[in-house]
Amino acid sequence: MGRHFGDLAKIRHVITYSISPFEQRAFPNYFSKGIPNVWRRFKSSVFKVAPPMILMYLTYTWGNHVHEQGKRKNPADYEKDQ
Amino acid sequence: SGVWNFGSLLGLCLITQILTGVFLGMDYTSDISTGFSSVTHIWRDVNYGWLIRNLHGNGASFFFICIYMDIGRGLYYGSYLYKETWNIGVVLLLLVMMTAFVGYVVPWGQMSFWGGTVITNLLSGVPYMGNTLVQWIWGGFSVDNGTLTRFFGFHFLLAFVIGGGTVVHLLFLHETGSNNPGGVNSDGDKISFHPYFSYKDLLGFVIMLLGLTSLGVFSPNLVGDPENFTPGNPLVTPPHIQPEWYFLFGYGILRSIPNKVGGVLGLLFSILVLMVVAILHTSKQRGLTFRPVTQFLFWTLVGDMIILTWIGGMPVEHPYIIIGQIGSVLYFGLFLVLVPLGGWVEN
Repeated sequence: MGRHFGDLAKIRHVITYSISPFEQRAFPNYFSKGIPNVWRRFKSSVFKVAPPMILMYLTYTWGNHVHEQGKRKNPADYEKDQ
Repeated sequence: SGVWNFGSLLGLCLITQILTGVFLGMDYTSDISTGFSSVTHIWRDVNYGWLIRNLHGNGASFFFICIYMDIGRGLYYGSYLYKETWNIGVVLLLLVMMTAFVGYVVPWGQMSFWGGTVITNLLSGVPYMGNTLVQWIWGGFSVDNGTLTRFFGFHFLLAFVIGGGTVVHLLFLHETGSNNPGGVNSDGDKISFHPYFSYKDLLGFVIMLLGLTSLGVFSPNLVGDPENFTPGNPLVTPPHIQPEWYFLFGYGILRSIPNKVGGVLGLLFSILVLMVVAILHTSKQRGLTFRPVTQFLFWTLVGDMIILTWIGGMPVEHPYIIIGQIGSVLYFGLFLVLVPLGGWVEN
């Protein structure tokens, strides 16, 4: 049942090279490249994620505000009271 | 990526719920005269009963967090194109919802009783046989002892039905292998389960169990309803009947339609719409990684579901009514019109 190693795909003319883990740094440029990369990834998605979330938040605050206002008495209703 | 962890996390959630549930079942009595107090007895007297009950109740919340994230991953990356796996997943979602619903009635608190009453009454909307159907489900003329005993039985049984469904879900998934964030064929790029995915899944387990135990010991009632600390009373109706947070979006859609049958159909189709997503896939690309328009629509769906969740917990007053109605229209509009349109535009 399912796929098995040796029967997945045939790929030819692909050459891979590797360096021993003992000949390289474990986390090269983790901060010097990592932090700019986080900023790049943020920039590329913020204008797709943030607007719906901002709209959601504004709807939430507006809705609660209007509901609270609706529970208050309207002074105009009591102007003619003695 | 990390969002592929939720499948294995759901398996962990199921095992956790079954284990804690079996232990709870050893001391629980499914009779209306003793049900509520047996839960109190478990909490106070049974060794670590309080922890087992905590983990079971909050475990249900984590179950839904994981299942919504798994579905979200499926929608974002086009994993639904594995149609058999996806459709069984929708069946599993329905089973989990049914299990959680009957399970919530079991402690026989006020919200257990009244939530059970509200939702079971919806079946009366079925033409001709509606009322008969409801009384058949109840085992009487209202939610009463007959309902509790059978709901406990259903809750126990459905857990294992979910287990069976999970096996079939995995059976189909293993025919194709998993999707990936690039949405490309990865047959030529496989790595062994151990140690890569064994350790990745283990890390996911540790993080989720950390979250579950933190919620359970630091803030166990954060997502619960205080009404359920009061024994169920058919003579006293709580002012705000509402389900647990994971059902609120559907509850919001249900209440947005001012017609009983219409509301029930809206609730039903809010889940069943997932089954047509694959048919409405118009894009030449599988996932949203390189599709900015549909990405925006995806996040609009996420925001809309949060709004509907909020609305489901609010009273049916202005302006919550109109917000709920717009949110419901947007929910179905996104699935049926906007996302297919987005895919076509991006092509």
